[in-house]
Amino acid sequence: MTWYDFLVQNRAEVWARSVEHIGLVAASMAIALAIGLPLGIAIVGRAALRRWVIGTANVVQTIPSLALFGFLIPVPWIGGVGASTAIVALALYALLPILSNTSTGIAEVDPAVVEAARGMGMTPGQVLWHVQLPLAAPVLLAGIRVATVLCIGITTIAAAIGAGGLGVFIFRGVAMVNNSVILAGAIPAAFLAIAADVALGLFERSIARR
Amino acid sequence: MSEWSPYMRGGVSRRSAGFLLACALVTLAAGCGKRGQQTIVVGSKNFTEQIVLAELFAQQIEAHSAMRVEREVNLGGTLLCHDALVSGKIDLYPEYTGTALLAVLKDPPENNPAKVFERVRSEYRARFGVEVLLPLGFNNSFAMVVRGDDAERLHLRSVSDIAPYAPKWRAGFGYEFIERPDGYRGWAAAYGVHFAAAPKILDLGLLYRALQDKQVDVVAGNTTDGVIESLHMVALADDRHFFPPYEAVPLVRRATLEAHPEVRATLEALAGKISEDDMRRMNYAVDGEHRELTDVVREFRKQKGL
Repeated sequence: MTWYDFLVQNRAEVWARSVEHIGLVAASMAIALAIGLPLGIAIVGRAALRRWVIGTANVVQTIPSLALFGFLIPVPWIGGVGASTAIVALALYALLPILSNTSTGIAEVDPAVVEAARGMGMTPGQVLWHVQLPLAAPVLLAGIRVATVLCIGITTIAAAIGAGGLGVFIFRGVAMVNNSVILAGAIPAAFLAIAADVALGLFERSIARR
Repeated sequence: MSEWSPYMRGGVSRRSAGFLLACALVTLAAGCGKRGQQTIVVGSKNFTEQIVLAELFAQQIEAHSAMRVEREVNLGGTLLCHDALVSGKIDLYPEYTGTALLAVLKDPPENNPAKVFERVRSEYRARFGVEVLLPLGFNNSFAMVVRGDDAERLHLRSVSDIAPYAPKWRAGFGYEFIERPDGYRGWAAAYGVHFAAAPKILDLGLLYRALQDKQVDVVAGNTTDGVIESLHMVALADDRHFFPPYEAVPLVRRATLEAHPEVRATLEALAGKISEDDMRRMNYAVDGEHRELTDVVREFRKQKGL
């Protein structure tokens, strides 16, 4: 049986797993954004803090996902076996591109423009909201785009901790020694990643045009 | 840390370009390595016992021949090892007769070890050009594992003993156990076991952690897992003999044996030399005592006079 036949015959499950997959990505991206954007803004202009925060995010990226799951299992509330552990781990992995692009994007806004805004009597909050964030938007969005595509790819590992998603087919196929089953998970996941990349790319361009 | 460069459009493609370059270099290096006729590549799956056995094969060949041995261990599962072997990326790897019969040949389960061995040997020879050498001596079957305190409190010795408690229990299984014909469904039917909820499906490496942390109450591990004892867990006896035999055997490409006939004798010197206890002890030395793999294997060879 080819992967395509398998996909057609099991379309109900492939669909359900895809929805599960998108849910995991959405939940972990929401957490990563909720932490990454404010933290990325907070570390602008604080070199020591920035080094420390980005360095930590860097280290997190190097922890193999199975080891990270292992650490998280005994943690109350966020840990255990299932979706919550997977979402926490995925959010941690998605954090680095969001953090680094947010802080870099804002730091790279022309100081003269910021100075001019301050000269006009804007409060720091107004400068951030009306000047720095709009000017940094393309870099910020590029970070979010990378984080999303990355997240869709690594969410396949969520199946290792019983959280479902398209990775289920990949793990099942590996266990069954069946390439068709692996591809039935890998190809829809790749398709999701490409679709998200294109959609966010279009969004980026529409923002840039404005 | 140097200045962090942001992930921009160019950044991503640069990264993937770097990755491709690295892949190309690795391939090139591997190709160069194989050019020399005297190199043999030993593979293994991605768990401790397999890596120990691969190291044992490697040391054995190094000790008794002039060949250079490359270790290509930690390949992600039966599928990858099988494909790597058949396509010639590796020359040999350790396999289990039951796994070969059910997962690779996709035959129905069979309980007689000799029959399984013969069937696997003739099919691998005919279909893949692969020789199945003599069994190493131990059987690594699935094992239902529970926490030691539960075993003591509820007097659990064999799998039949858990049937009355199962309706209140949660189970944790690996993908392989869920999917295989000799796995969950058949096992649950054979023992009349019904759990409170659908079993949690986890990666093998996380099962014992989930059991220890009481996220689940019973897991399907392997009889030779070294950590069972060190984590104070108990493997229950398969009292209804549901699981087929999983005798460990070396699988070697026929082409390799033809080019290097001494490899067969070298590896068959290991036949029947490794008992289940030996294997568990070596697994534990690596997993539980964190000892150096090469030392553990060297000691074992010395002790057995290999």
